[in-house]
Amino acid sequence: MTLAARIESFRELVVEWLRGLYHGMITHPAYEKIEKQAEDDEDAFMLACFPDAFGIPSPVSYYTAELLPYLEDEFEAWERRMWDRGSLLERKGHQYHF
Amino acid sequence: MRKFVFFGGKGGVGKTTMSSAYAVKCARAGVSTLLVSTDPAHSTRDVFDQSFTDTPEPVEDEPNLDAMEIDPETEVREHLMETKRALGEQVSPAMVNEIDRQIEMAHQTPGAHESALFDRFIDVMRDSDQYDRIVFDTSPTGGTLRLLSLPEYLDGWIQRLLHKRKQSVKLFERAAIGNNEPRRMMEGDPIIARLEQRRDDFNFAKEMLQSQAAFFLVVNPDELSIRETKRAVEQLDDYGLDVRGLAVNRLTPEPDPDEQGRGATFLRNRVKTEQERLRELREDLSPPLVAAIETRVAEVKGDFLGEVADEIEVGVELTTN
Repeated sequence: MTLAARIESFRELVVEWLRGLYHGMITHPAYEKIEKQAEDDEDAFMLACFPDAFGIPSPVSYYTAELLPYLEDEFEAWERRMWDRGSLLERKGHQYHF
Repeated sequence: MRKFVFFGGKGGVGKTTMSSAYAVKCARAGVSTLLVSTDPAHSTRDVFDQSFTDTPEPVEDEPNLDAMEIDPETEVREHLMETKRALGEQVSPAMVNEIDRQIEMAHQTPGAHESALFDRFIDVMRDSDQYDRIVFDTSPTGGTLRLLSLPEYLDGWIQRLLHKRKQSVKLFERAAIGNNEPRRMMEGDPIIARLEQRRDDFNFAKEMLQSQAAFFLVVNPDELSIRETKRAVEQLDDYGLDVRGLAVNRLTPEPDPDEQGRGATFLRNRVKTEQERLRELREDLSPPLVAAIETRVAEVKGDFLGEVADEIEVGVELTTN
């Protein structure tokens, strides 16, 4: 292997590592944060749609009930998130990978 | 008179009589008319001695008149069935039970009847092209007022839901890295589409009620009825609805002057208090009196209906304002 080729492969390695580091440290957590925020917003939406799941009567639940068939994934995920969320702090804490 | 005419008022004051009489008046003047009863305890069938259903049917012996009775119970049941059918098509069997419970619950909430009734209102107003006039015989004041306030109230709710949904979908779209498919997409989202459909329905209803509907309140000459009417006028005004007049029903007939018996004295006293109440109505309330109908000995049916109709001073010709 010539010197040039070795330098070339070393540079590729460095570039790959840098890209990985950048993705892992900067972009990935950012996307994760956005997704978490989206889930939070969705939870708020679900709660506004179906407060009667918690015994709070809602004036529009008659109308939102017809959305339910299209909300299968959301409904399941919502219930799951509602169950395993200890506190708001805990959920916000997930973004820091200690 | 506007295209949609509503008769409202306290329970038992004679809304059905008034609205039926007005509908007959319109029909006999050659205006093709539909009479819609929205009171769960329907009495249109008693006035015309004929049973009606959820779809408009011609009234016997009245060539220009159709009538229908809306049953909120049936509407709720149908809505439930429809939602469940959609559920069966969309959702995996494992989740059906979970969601099913939620749907059942939503159809038993206190607002379900009102919402169902309101949906039918919108349908009737949408498919009203073949009629020149639609007369609504509404349920007692409380229910009707709540019903008519619905578009205002629900619109706010739906807007909020729509905003929330859009926000979360937008974030999901942003969170999709590279070529990954986002978990939710704005385009073709059935939830957004449905909510927008609802919002449009509510706006349509609001628009129709404010610009093409006229309201009449039926009053009896007694304290309670007058007080309730005052409140109703205020509330309808608040919703931006147009109260065109008050129709006084069940006035006591005055005895002839030469009659002096106990019955005649009673009637005379009664007429005196009623005149007092009428004065109060004229002075305290802004909508004018459009009818003053005396108590009938028999039920208002058949021939009587025409007599009552003649006493209602509400125009029948179609105008836009």
